[in-house]
Formats: sequence, C-alpha cells, structure tokens
Amino acid sequence: MSPESQLLGANAVRLGLTAADKTEALNQAGALLVEIGAATEAYADALHERETSVSTYVGEGVAIPHGTNESREYIERAALGYLQFPEGVDWDGETVYVCVAIASKSEEHVDILSALAQVLMDPAKAEQLRTATSADDVLSLLSPEPNQE
Amino acid sequence: MPTVNGSEVTKVIVACDAGMGSSVMVASNLRSKLRAKGIDVVHTPVNEIPEGAKLVLCHQGLAARAQSTAPNAVVVPFSIFIGDPAFTRVEDAILQGKTLES
Repeated sequence: MSPESQLLGANAVRLGLTAADKTEALNQAGALLVEIGAATEAYADALHERETSVSTYVGEGVAIPHGTNESREYIERAALGYLQFPEGVDWDGETVYVCVAIASKSEEHVDILSALAQVLMDPAKAEQLRTATSADDVLSLLSPEPNQE
Repeated sequence: MPTVNGSEVTKVIVACDAGMGSSVMVASNLRSKLRAKGIDVVHTPVNEIPEGAKLVLCHQGLAARAQSTAPNAVVVPFSIFIGDPAFTRVEDAILQGKTLES
C-alpha cells in the first residue's frame, strides 16, 4: 500500500451523511478520525476550537476541519477523512457538502491537500467531489498527481 | 508600514492558525503559479513565521497576529481560500516587480 492510500483509505470515506448543523458535522468528523485511529478525543474536541478562530470553509461547498497547532500532540498518525453531506450543512452562512477532516503532525498530507486544491480550482471536478457515489471516486479525485515541472 | 517590491521577494510565507489545512492549500496553488519564477512558497502556523520573512499571506482574521509575529514583513490578508483577488495581486507584484504593503 502506498503512503497516500494509508493517509486516505476507503474506510475513511463516508457518503450520504446527514448533520443538523456545523457542530454535529464536526462531531462526526472528529469521531471518524478517532475511529480510524488517527487521533484521540482531545483532538476531536480541538476541531471545534479551531473553527471558532477562523472557519475552515475553503470554497466550492468544502470545509477542511482540523485541530489547533497545540492539539497536534493528540494525533496518533497522519490521516484524512472524507465526509459527504448531500443535503448540505450551514457553515457560518456557507453551505458545506463535503468535509475533508485532517490529522497531521507535519508534511505527510501536503500532496493530498494539493490535489484537493487543484480539484477546487476546477468547478467540474469540485462538483464530482461533492456528488461522488463511491469511495473509489473520492480516492481517485484526491490522489496526488506527479509534480509537473 | 512595511513595504516590499515584488522583484525582491524570493520566498512567500503562507500562514494559518495551525499550519495544517488552509495554508497548505493556498501555498500549493501559489507555488504552482510561481514555480517557474523560482520563488519558494512555504506554509507555517501563524505563531511560527520565520524571522526575516518579507512577505506573508494569511487569512484576514489572523492578519494582526501575523503582523505582530513578523513586524517587518508585509502581511497580505485574504478572505477566501480559492480565487481571492489578493493572490492575483501578489502574483502580479512578484512577476511584474510592483510594490506591496501591509
């Protein structure tokens, strides 16, 4: 298994979820990171704390919840999770359809986030990310591309 | 207020609260635009902006903290992570040698 697929595995892709509000969505994101062995409850709590300083909404219906700088010590291993909310979740006035939850101590996840940034720059790909119907779709959209020099 | 001419910039710092999420994405996009020019683009937590930083990009909600961490740096705030006009302004300043200020 490549390091990338360990970072975001099919078991961390959750489709068709519902959440009444941002707090509930963050609870689910935190619980997912705990469930896959990426972090402890204390890190899950820090997702809420981080949102109170600046929203992690990044555009195109996507938010990237993660902990605070101080909460890094509660990360067990670097991992990401994908949570899809087809009905949308109100996120401080924006509507979020996808959360990409992040637990990372250093640079392990940079390639996947770069892939996410490229997806969000392309409205058609962003739409695919929001409406993915299988874990494979999600994993292939977020697989790091070779560096283009 | 600090100012810097884009032609003097060799390194752009992108700062966010934890240096884990949004700054990584912004740095990635900016790096792809500035790579050809040989500009280094790095991401960092806002409290750990390196000494000697000349140009810092960060979310507007963190701009005051970034400026206090790096009083001599030009801090350019942005409000959205994808497609904010601030990114274009920084790219233009670097590629065309225009002046930026905090």
